[in-house]
Order: sequence, then structure tokens, then C-alpha cells
Amino acid sequence: MRSEMNVRSLAVPGFFADVQALWAVVRREWTIFVRYPSWIIAMFIWPVIFPMGYILTARALSGIDGSGLTTFQNTTGLNEYVGYIAVGTMVWMWQNIVLWAVGYSLRNEQMRGTLESNWLSPTWRFAYLLGSSIPQMVSMFMLMLVSGLEYAFLFKVDFDGSLWLTLLVILAAIPSVYGLGFAFASVVITMKEANAFVFLVRGVVMIFCGITYPLAILPGWMQTVSQWLPQTYIIHAMRTAALSTEGFSAIAFDLKMLLLFGAFWLAVGYLLFSMMERRARQTGAIGQY
Amino acid sequence: MQTQPLSQPTLTSHLRALYALIRKDWKQYWRYPLNAVSQIFQPLIWIAPVYFMGQAFSVDGKAIGFSQYSGTTDFMSFILLGTVLESFINAVFWGMGYALKNDMDSGVMESNWLTPIPRLLILVAHSVTNLIVTAITSMGMLLLGGLIFGFSASGDVLKAFVPIIPMMLGLYGFGFAFAALVMLLREANTLVDVSSFLVQIFSGSNFPVNALPRFLLPVALALPLTYGLDAVRAHLIGTNTILPLQWEMVLLVVFMFVMLWIGTATFHSLERRVRTLGTLGQH
Repeated sequence: MRSEMNVRSLAVPGFFADVQALWAVVRREWTIFVRYPSWIIAMFIWPVIFPMGYILTARALSGIDGSGLTTFQNTTGLNEYVGYIAVGTMVWMWQNIVLWAVGYSLRNEQMRGTLESNWLSPTWRFAYLLGSSIPQMVSMFMLMLVSGLEYAFLFKVDFDGSLWLTLLVILAAIPSVYGLGFAFASVVITMKEANAFVFLVRGVVMIFCGITYPLAILPGWMQTVSQWLPQTYIIHAMRTAALSTEGFSAIAFDLKMLLLFGAFWLAVGYLLFSMMERRARQTGAIGQY
Repeated sequence: MQTQPLSQPTLTSHLRALYALIRKDWKQYWRYPLNAVSQIFQPLIWIAPVYFMGQAFSVDGKAIGFSQYSGTTDFMSFILLGTVLESFINAVFWGMGYALKNDMDSGVMESNWLTPIPRLLILVAHSVTNLIVTAITSMGMLLLGGLIFGFSASGDVLKAFVPIIPMMLGLYGFGFAFAALVMLLREANTLVDVSSFLVQIFSGSNFPVNALPRFLLPVALALPLTYGLDAVRAHLIGTNTILPLQWEMVLLVVFMFVMLWIGTATFHSLERRVRTLGTLGQH
């Protein structure tokens, strides 16, 4: 005898339900974020101390009589290194924080033991990832603002460029920076060894994208690799927009490349997330860590 | 009513607990082999930008400007050595403060705290695995650093260990106080990252501290680690020292006793506060 049971779900899925779920995730993430006030310290201290390590090393390399600095000027064609390093390291910090915050968002849920139960709710699952990115973007804008002010007042960096062009670069960079974060989160949830992946990706950015030196110093093969990384274009565009008066034409190519990379990484991010989601349901391993 | 505890704490039982904690951390660490391997490459990645940046300041691989501050043109050996020592320093910072945060997150902190083991022993145990792993990864780092960046040390390795011992013991004092602070604030990442990064900058891990602007120099000179790094480098690669070597040793030994005393007292006081508040199990 075949018995059938009709189960009537209480859930009413739809567009508004998805938006509500997304909003709930955003609210939860924001509450967790402000719950630990040390983020305020981080926001003010990191933009200063992270580039400071490189700036002071450059100062030591310059020498007491400035002979090293003359060599630097001859080799790179740059007059000063402080603003150059500050902008490069700021972009690196942005990507690094996104990798930890967005890349770890699902993994953290897994570690806390709430991922499996959340997954069982009749919500749009991508909302978990997207929702954790939105408060992150807000905090990143705050960090960039604080960084700019600190560089101008503490490091005496002359921001001769345009604020609007700098904002345009930031907007154009968001899809590739966060797309990479989405892809990363999906890989981490499957492979579990999140630290190693963060170290790898941020290490690649650190070495190949020229955060503290002009790319011309790198060997030829490394320069080729750097052309395939969106962060190279972000750093170049940001430096040009914020520090020079060259205008839109000097960053037009970078913006085009950033939009192309952005579309690519968002697509890869969503695809990897869908694959991970399907795999998680098949293997039933989503709750394991 | 008199209660007779079932536990019989002795030196042997403490050593057994220490061994159990180290084994647990060791097992957990190697459970994620990719993370373990990445620890060798991670510090090398951090100093790679300095390597390329240094090339722009050098002529034929020799940083003449750098030698005016440090006494050596080989800036990469200077930095690599600083990075290795910094890894040990971080092992104590991370090993204790961060391990407590991990225990809080995974919900075992309160139950561990209820066991009849001295609490400082729990902290020391958490740092041992980190120190062993750091020793292994440092060897890998120096080997790889030699291949990639051309690290060379011509000095006396045994003599270089003499300043390392009081420096590391003094650092445990720092670590105890820091771990207690993590227990109280329940948030370790920012605290650990910011403090270890600041210590790294001001102790001269990547550059000679006399290159610091004058107003920042007192901060560097107030850190015992500055003298430790300075003495080790002088022994291994013959750099200039801030003070005569014997004076640096005296300072390191004095700092060791002072830091152990302050660290232990701070830990006991803050730990008592956390137990009074009843927030041990929260995170």
C-alpha cells in the first residue's frame, strides 16, 4: 500500500520574502559588527600603521644623506614614495578585509553551527552572502574616508587629484573586489582551510600588483601576471585619480578593465556559490567543520 | 559542609595536562595541512614587496642608504632575520590570546577553566605548539629566503641564542597580560593584529629603529624586543647596535623579570574580574 502525505509548507517564498531575508541578514551582520567596538580602533589605526611599516622601511633605505632616495628617483621616475605607498597599501587593505569578512561569512556560520539550520529555511541562499557584504561595504567606505584624512594630515600626502574620479574608481572596483570575495567564500566553505586561501590570494595581490613599487621593477613574467589581476588596475587608477591631475583620460582604460573583471568575477562568484550549494545538499557536509 | 575534591593535583598531573593540551593543539593544527604549509610562505610574501621596493633604492643589489643606519648593505638578510624573530614573538601573542578566543568561540573555555589545572599552565600549553610550529616554519623560511632573496648569516648562531632566551621569557609576561585582556574584552583579532603589528614596527623588525622619526624613537627604545632583535642581528650579520651588547643583555634580563611579574599579576587580577562578572562562557 502506498501512503501519501501532503505537507503544506508555512513559507511564502517570493521577491518580497527574499528582500526581507536579505534585510534580516544585513541587520544581523551590522549588529554583530557594532557589538565589538574594537572595529573603531581598527578603523583609525590600520590605515596608519599598515603603510607606516613600508614607509619607514623606505625611509631607512633612503639613507641619512638621501643617497638611496636619489637612486629610487632615478630608477622609478617618482619624486616621493609616501603617497604612492599609502594608496597602494589602502587598496590591498580593502581586498584583504573583503577576503576575511565576506570570504569568511559562511565559514563563520559553519563554525558557529548555524549554517545548516539557516540553509534549511526557505530563503534565497545567496542572501546570506550578499547580506554580509552590504554592512562590509559601508564600513569600507568609512575606512577609506578615515584613511584619506589620516594620509593628508599625518603623512602630509598631497591629494592633488579629483575626489569624484577617486569615487568613480571605487565604484568601478566594487564588482571585482566583492565578486572575488563571493567566489572565495564558496571555495572556503567547501575546502574549509580558509586561512591558507586568504594568505594565497592576498599574497598574490601583494607581490604582483605593485602596492609599494612601480611594476616596471618586476621581471617580465611577473608583469604579465599582474596584467591579469584587477587589483593592478585599481591601484593604478586610484593613484592617478587621487594623486595626479591627469584627469579621466588617464584612468579610462583602467575603468574599462575593472568593469570587465567585475563582470567576470561576479559571474564566477555566483556560479561557484550555486555549485557549492548543490554540492552541499548532495553530500550533506555543510554542517561539518 | 566540607567538600573533598576528587582531583589530586601534583606536578605529574600538571605535566600530563600540559601534554594533553599540546597534543590537542598539535592535532588540530595539522588537521588543516594547507594552513600549515602556508605559514612558511606567508612571512616571505609579506617581505616580497620590501624586496622589490629595496631594489629601487639599491645599486647592484647593495642598499648604500640602508647601510648608513644599519651597518649592512644586505637589507634582505636584515629583514628576513627580523621576520623570523617576529614569527616567534607572534607565536606567543597569538598562541595565548588567540587560543583563548578560539576556546571561547568553540564553547570549551568555561569547562577548561573549571578543571583543577593552573590557568597559567593552560596559557603556556597553548603557546608551545605554536612555538614548535614556528621553529619548523622558520627553518623552511630561512632556507627558502636563502634561495629567493639570498639570505646569509656569517656570525655565531649559539651566541645569538643568548639574547633570545630572556627576550622570549619576558614576552610570556606580555602574553599573560594580553590573554587576560582578551578574556575581558572577548574580541581578539583586532587586539592581536594591531598590537603585534605595532610591536613589529617599533621593535625594528623591518628596518633599523634609528631610522624612525625622533618623536617615535622613545617608543622603540622602551620595548625590550628592540634590544633582543638588535643583539641577535649583531651576532649573526654584524650590524651596528643601539647600545653596547652587554648593556643590551642586562636590559633584556631586567625586562624579563619585570614583564613576568607584571604579566602574572595582571592576569590574576583580570581573570578574577572575569570570574566575578561571570562572562567566562560568553563570546
